[in-house]
Amino acid sequence: MSTSGDTPNERLLEMENVSVNFPVKRAYPFSRRRWIQAVTDVSLEISQGETFGIVGESGCGKSTLANAMIGMVRPTGGTVRFQGEDLYTLRPKAFKEARRNMQMIFQDPFSSLNPRFTVCDIIKEPLLIRGGASEDEMKARVLELLKLVGLDEEDLLRHPSDFSGGQRQRIGIARAIILNPRFLVCDEPVSGLDVSVHAQIMNLLMEIQAELNLTYVFISHNLAVVKNVCQNMLVMYLGKVMEAGDSKTVFANPLHPYTRALLSAILDVNVDRTRERVLLQGDTPSPIDPPEGCRFWQRCPFAMVGCETIPATLVSVEDGHQVACHLISGFSPEQKAAGLDQPATSQ
Amino acid sequence: MTDAVLEVRNLKVAFPCAGGIIRAVEGIDLVTRKGECVALVGESGCGKSVTAFSIMRLLRTPPSVSRIDSLRLDGREFSHLTEREMEHIRGKDMAMIFQDAMTALNPVMTVGKQIDEVYRRHTHLGKKEAREQTVRALELVGVPEARSRADSFPHELSGGMRQRVLIALAFACMPKLIIADEPTTSLDVTIQAQVLDVLKSMQREHDVSALLITHDLSVVANMADTVYVMYSGKIVERAAVQDLFEDPRHPYSQGLLASVPRLSDEKQAFVQIPDTVPHPMRKPSGCYFHPRCSYATESCRERMPRLEAMPEDRQVRCWNPLGQEREA
Repeated sequence: MSTSGDTPNERLLEMENVSVNFPVKRAYPFSRRRWIQAVTDVSLEISQGETFGIVGESGCGKSTLANAMIGMVRPTGGTVRFQGEDLYTLRPKAFKEARRNMQMIFQDPFSSLNPRFTVCDIIKEPLLIRGGASEDEMKARVLELLKLVGLDEEDLLRHPSDFSGGQRQRIGIARAIILNPRFLVCDEPVSGLDVSVHAQIMNLLMEIQAELNLTYVFISHNLAVVKNVCQNMLVMYLGKVMEAGDSKTVFANPLHPYTRALLSAILDVNVDRTRERVLLQGDTPSPIDPPEGCRFWQRCPFAMVGCETIPATLVSVEDGHQVACHLISGFSPEQKAAGLDQPATSQ
Repeated sequence: MTDAVLEVRNLKVAFPCAGGIIRAVEGIDLVTRKGECVALVGESGCGKSVTAFSIMRLLRTPPSVSRIDSLRLDGREFSHLTEREMEHIRGKDMAMIFQDAMTALNPVMTVGKQIDEVYRRHTHLGKKEAREQTVRALELVGVPEARSRADSFPHELSGGMRQRVLIALAFACMPKLIIADEPTTSLDVTIQAQVLDVLKSMQREHDVSALLITHDLSVVANMADTVYVMYSGKIVERAAVQDLFEDPRHPYSQGLLASVPRLSDEKQAFVQIPDTVPHPMRKPSGCYFHPRCSYATESCRERMPRLEAMPEDRQVRCWNPLGQEREA
């Protein structure tokens, strides 16, 4: 199914200025229509075989972005190209074909499996939908995958309720890879699991990636995991990319105040209490009518007057490292003359 | 120990059910000293929340059956108190911070009113004075514009604010003991950092003991003084936080610590503990951890080890505790 002559740097998925807005239900029939700006103007490129990390807090749009990648949410603006083709202009048949190559592993292994199905039914369903395989072939394929994800043949006729969280996640993984996809979105695959099984599932995902030459998009709020598995990453806040690039470079030299705050907010397992932590004030604002300027300015400890009104755009600071922050990109001389680089005092 | 605030001796909790008996907690001892933060760590199903709930006497009987040799708070035995008498103690001498603020708060009552209730119940304050106290309590935990926020309903507040309200609620009467059951699990990392900060400073400032129930070792590293590691209803290790993190003696503690990915690490495979936690109705023979333990021997399969005292005021339940020489 997948073409064998892939060069490692082939672009598998590209997103160009993708935005996703959801309409908010009107309070009154003639009130102003409002939009949740879940994702705003995100561009990215994912190469064949890599693991791409998306980091951010809840509500920052990371899952919406992932859904837009695999054709589950139609973007309001921008283009998504998978294997060079614009995903959302494909005819229904070709669209279905393309989507076969992109699958997803969900966060919650309890609600993502049908409790009335047996394991066999669950894993087989994608094959049934594709059609063209006999019952025996399907059964053989299901068994093969069951073994791959570390479950037994005798588990075949059991129901999801008989399994622990980790085992359910294994079932979810088997279902996701049964159609030999090229591209797999892992949406917080371990955050619903116990600590001691985190590592098991992560290792399984890594093994499968190596074996099947898969490309992963790995969504997480756990920076330590992202640092360990991802080659490239982006940090999102309130629907916008704050910082992006090669994960080694980003972690070695985080430049955006939000990335820094995120890094210092995660508690490391070191009993070192002397470390100075940057504590952010306040909460993430609502993505309905988000701040006009930099999305982060209200919570930014270094906010300047100009941050309030002028949106920050991603600029490249070094090879494979982009940041959207006025502290980095600076203001033009005219803007400086207008006093836009003065510290904001509203806080 | 004279400065012990909470002393639990041999607490057992079981849930009889159709297929047999689930022994959730199998005889644990706990001590928290004045001003100390004690963490009870373990994976889901190990009995840590049941322990917290049964100390607060919030478990319903039936279905639960519990037995305890002694439960002392500040030297006063209260394991034999009636439910009526417990009502005077809960909220006043010990209080609890729950995991999910949305379900712990009453959705149809303003948060101010809910905190007022604590003062009205446990002190002789009138309506007005109670509200004054409430506003002060909210200010202490860093709720901005506390006076007007007191009139909001829980759904009008963000997750972090709700958790702050719960903390204010628990600290309202400055109890001797706070039990925090996974206080930050449902919060985002940056909010989690804020809330933990508040909790820690409240606890330190007012010299209150805390029993922190969590599965998150990074929270433990940042909050606790003493750590109890629980596995399948039993304490497997107790140590000062520094000792545990630098030199775990029980293979389970070691495995847990190793399985947490660290920022400081170079890229590598994740260290994993094989298999999963045993089902509470089908616990293995001998040491409960032996099927997953790479150091297991014959005696581990046959007999449950005792919680033995070790030097440096620590305890380990293991036949072959990891040696003094540090494990790689």
